[in-house]
Amino acid sequence: MKAIRPLCVAALAFFVVASAAKAQIPRDPTPVVAKTSPEDVANGKKLYEATCSKCHGLDGGGSDGPSLQGAPERLGDAEVGAIIRGGIPGTGMTAFGSLNVEETGQVVGYLRTLGHTADAEIAKGDIGKGKSVYGTSGCTGCHIISGEGGGAGPELTRVGAMRGPSYLRAALLTPGANLPQEAGAMERGRFTQFLFVRVVTKDGHTVDGTRVSEDSFTIVIKDAAGRFHTFKKLEVQKVEKIPGKSVMPSFKDTLSASQLDDLVAYLASLKGAQ
Amino acid sequence: MRAIKYALILFALASPLAAQTPVPYSQVVKSDSEPANWLTYGGNYYGQRFSGLKQLTPQNVAGLKMAWAYQPNRPAGNVETSPIVVDGIMYVTEPPSTVTALDAHTGNKLWTWSPILKNVVAIGLFQTNRGVAVLDHRVYIATIDAHLVALDATTGAVIWNTVVADNKMGYAITGPPLAIDGKVLIGTGGSEAAVRGFLDCYDAMTGKRLWRIWTVPLQGEPGSETWGGSVPAGGTTWNAGAYDPKLNLVYWGTGNPAPDWNGDARPGDNLYTCALLAIDPDAGKMKWYFQFSPHETHDWDASEPPILFDDTIKGKPRKLLGFANRNAFYYVLDRETGDFVAGMPYAKQTWAKGLDATGHPIVLPNSGPSPEGNLVFPSITGAINWTSNSYSPLTKLFYVDAREMGSYFVKGTSTKWEMGKFPMGAGGERALSGDDAYGAIRALDGTTGKMKWEFRLHAPSWVGTLATAGGLVFSGSDEGNFFALDAVTGKPLWDMNLGASIRSNPVTYAVDGKQYVFVTAGTTYFVFGLP
Repeated sequence: MKAIRPLCVAALAFFVVASAAKAQIPRDPTPVVAKTSPEDVANGKKLYEATCSKCHGLDGGGSDGPSLQGAPERLGDAEVGAIIRGGIPGTGMTAFGSLNVEETGQVVGYLRTLGHTADAEIAKGDIGKGKSVYGTSGCTGCHIISGEGGGAGPELTRVGAMRGPSYLRAALLTPGANLPQEAGAMERGRFTQFLFVRVVTKDGHTVDGTRVSEDSFTIVIKDAAGRFHTFKKLEVQKVEKIPGKSVMPSFKDTLSASQLDDLVAYLASLKGAQ
Repeated sequence: MRAIKYALILFALASPLAAQTPVPYSQVVKSDSEPANWLTYGGNYYGQRFSGLKQLTPQNVAGLKMAWAYQPNRPAGNVETSPIVVDGIMYVTEPPSTVTALDAHTGNKLWTWSPILKNVVAIGLFQTNRGVAVLDHRVYIATIDAHLVALDATTGAVIWNTVVADNKMGYAITGPPLAIDGKVLIGTGGSEAAVRGFLDCYDAMTGKRLWRIWTVPLQGEPGSETWGGSVPAGGTTWNAGAYDPKLNLVYWGTGNPAPDWNGDARPGDNLYTCALLAIDPDAGKMKWYFQFSPHETHDWDASEPPILFDDTIKGKPRKLLGFANRNAFYYVLDRETGDFVAGMPYAKQTWAKGLDATGHPIVLPNSGPSPEGNLVFPSITGAINWTSNSYSPLTKLFYVDAREMGSYFVKGTSTKWEMGKFPMGAGGERALSGDDAYGAIRALDGTTGKMKWEFRLHAPSWVGTLATAGGLVFSGSDEGNFFALDAVTGKPLWDMNLGASIRSNPVTYAVDGKQYVFVTAGTTYFVFGLP
């Protein structure tokens, strides 16, 4: 018996190694479609709170995991559904095989209700006139729409898909007051995007810009001309973060009420046409 | 497959590395005398994560360069491993439950073993693994589906495979086993699945279970009066323990009671959840317990690895235990008796006025979860989570990776739970992360918790600390910075961005007289040394 036992163990080890190498999780290829009836969304909410909220937050705004607000709009229902059912290798996002295609559709339907700043308000301006206002007000110097424009500020090609008229109007009047937050994994999420940063170097130079990236030792900012500046935090005099401030000017005094309406209508109409 | 396996064995036999020395218990007990090796999860049985290696110093650490990197083929989850190094061989784990032996000098793979996993139930936890234990010629791994497996250290062949608990009920293991004289201890996770927590001890040779200590009582048993008539659940033991060979006591923390964010159905202290247990490993009996967070409703598990150390207080030599708790308090206990010695917050907290003379928290009103969401510090993930702190007997400082983040805690609508399922409507958090949060490496006076220095981090981190006799503290950031600080002053001396979040405890070891430092970032395993 003593002689046989190690052989059995060795044979088992071969089996284990050989089988593990082949093991794959089958992924149901059925595409997930968002289910948006009130009943479906209500059940999607329950499933979300039980299954997803521990990592992604009760409001979908991110916690240990990234923000999911706007995820179906950005990625599409089928892709979000595939991620839920198949997971993302190499991350904490494991496959949730416990949800069937219909339940996943309910969760995606619920995700579509989360975090929208697009609202029921319908833009009252004229889209065509708004496009002219956009072209003559200096916006193109800093923003890209469908490949055209400057890159100092955020791209606006799809801004209307995520931002409604109220938000857009507020952003034009008081830029920097309600900046979006990063959708990142774990503690990388929820950092304010386009945060105004003033860096004072040891020789007294001041550089203003918006934060592009930051870690515990370095910060990168982009100035109003779109140039990147990288600083070692330990090698500068001061890194001052100023929430609420923006490199973008307010259009409160430069646009008339109707021009503002038209510009808002134009921006709200931008839903991703390439 | 067979040919490959033989080739690996032949390779191992042909290499000097094959002359693998068994690691008897008598060697692990004296691990501090051979700092080239890293023999237990916490570096020694005291869990100090302190290395006697002195080659890297504040003067030369700026010259660190990458020596090698290793990337698993198919990492299926977060990499949170902390390796063990024995005579030039490194044993790492890969998510969810793979063990790989690497040549610690080059990073070349020697062997790898993976369990067959089917329909794994993992509720409220990531499918990852934090490390193995070694004893004699065996490597011990606990798997995500709650098995404890002994592998041959030279080949990776299975020696025995024991089912610790039923994974379908929600039991899952991510933590490292603790191997002591002839015994292997292991805990499990699963409190979010409302399982009943326990700590198990197995015969190191055979895998036969020697004892099990339940961490919550059955109804009617002593301690059940602290559950207000409800069925006790939770109190899982999902992280690492520590061991004092002279006192022959094992120290292990327990997690939250279930259900988590609504404690209405379980009025009382809910023993022995969110507590530290001191256990006689021969008798399988609890000698004492210390409950940090009675009637817990924030998910502040007391699962952090305890650190044992000796120091003198008021002229009297004391055997102490330091514990930086997820609830933001640092505690010093007498590890012989469990008596409270000292304690104070090491991170922002808004739930307690302080600790009384016995270490019991003076809880503030309205500091629990509410239906609308109640802002409380620290967050659900805590002022620290699973990562390990370190303690240097040279500086007598306790180095903690503090997480400064609050949460709106939402009270669940349901107090019902079903074993094996995440409780529906249980509650949760909206974390104040991003620019509202930050992290810090803090050096605390070991006997009091008083902060000596801090080094601020951009975001709360999930990286343990490592202290060395060379006068360094290594840690990392969520943004991927791996760095060395001066152990006395906290001054940053070297850093490098590894390109992905670091989620592991760094360790150090030496091969052929050269000191190396290990850490992971993303799914890559990095080793650094002087050129």
